[in-house]
Amino acid sequence: MRNEIILKVYRFDPTSGKPPTYKRYSVPITERETVLDALLYVKEHQDATLSLRFSCRMAVCGSCGMLIDGLPRLACYTQISELDTDEIEVRPMSNYPIVRDLVVDMSGFFEKHRSVMPWLIRRDVREQNQPTKQYLQSDEQLLEYLQFSYCIKCGLCYAACPVVTAMDEFLGPQALAQLYRYIRDSRDEGATERLKSAGEFNGVWRCHFAGSCSQVCPKGVDPALAIQLLRRRTLFMK
Amino acid sequence: MRERTLMIMHYLTGLGILVSGTIHVYVVFLTVPANLTAWESTLSFDGFQFAILPVYRNLALALSLEILLICTTYHGLNGLRIILYELFQGRSARTYVKYALFAIGALLLIYGTRTIIIAHSIGGP
Ligand code: SF4
Ligand code: FES
Repeated sequence: MRNEIILKVYRFDPTSGKPPTYKRYSVPITERETVLDALLYVKEHQDATLSLRFSCRMAVCGSCGMLIDGLPRLACYTQISELDTDEIEVRPMSNYPIVRDLVVDMSGFFEKHRSVMPWLIRRDVREQNQPTKQYLQSDEQLLEYLQFSYCIKCGLCYAACPVVTAMDEFLGPQALAQLYRYIRDSRDEGATERLKSAGEFNGVWRCHFAGSCSQVCPKGVDPALAIQLLRRRTLFMK
Repeated sequence: MRERTLMIMHYLTGLGILVSGTIHVYVVFLTVPANLTAWESTLSFDGFQFAILPVYRNLALALSLEILLICTTYHGLNGLRIILYELFQGRSARTYVKYALFAIGALLLIYGTRTIIIAHSIGGP
């Protein structure tokens, strides 16, 4: 068990006009410490200017996504011991504009998420705005989409996607997986509209099935699977 | 045309290539003599009339070759379109790519169809 590691942290302030640099910090660690703990140690004891985003510290809020040793991961969910190295490189997530240091601008990502209408659609507008009853579901109906509803919008899949890197118009794995999630929800009546948008230029057809989105998802969502299933539904429009 | 329609056509032409391509390969397989010199003569300009091309005097086979031509042209160029859209982004770049590929496709179809018509009408003794 190591009692100290080196954190090699990406530092960049786009407003400064200076190029990005890496700064090394030596951090004492204890058992079960996470990369987020180590970063917060740096912020508290060594360099208060380090910028990072976090909130829940328990892989629920999805705000601490970053590239840790080259892979998109949640800092609060990555134990230092599991990386098994003396030096850990921490960078901001790829495929997002950098705001500062490890903080990225996720507004484009959320915009795409919003564009798939991630809410239940009812044909009856009055019912949509003022529901008159509960929409009950059987266990089987719930299982149709359950795994996709575990998404915490951390954006790691989006950072891992090579198509997003090549083409920023692509909706991306998260938004498409959510689109599929609502289509499979027995309470939703917006399938036709949703499938139309999935079939657009920036939708399902752009996926090359690299599968990296599913590899990095910390919540066990399988966006690559959702996209393939969505493709079939988009083809037959049902 | 909508992306979904273009992709449905992509899949259908893929199937078309499978069917008409199989017919084409099978016909060539049945037609071509077993020895290598004769095979080469079927590919040379002088020898061609005595081997493969007469087959396409048959209208059904000529049509299957035309279908193969249409399917490979569409399928290939649509695949290229997808690659080029990633290389050249933005609406106007996409428009250029679309029209350039459309023109290439039209040329390939015209030239290929002309060849098939010739094969159909004068193919062999
Ligand atoms: S699908 Fe997984 S990796 Fe992608 S945003 Fe949702 S939780 Fe994060
Ligand atoms: S701090 Fe909430 S997911 Fe890491």
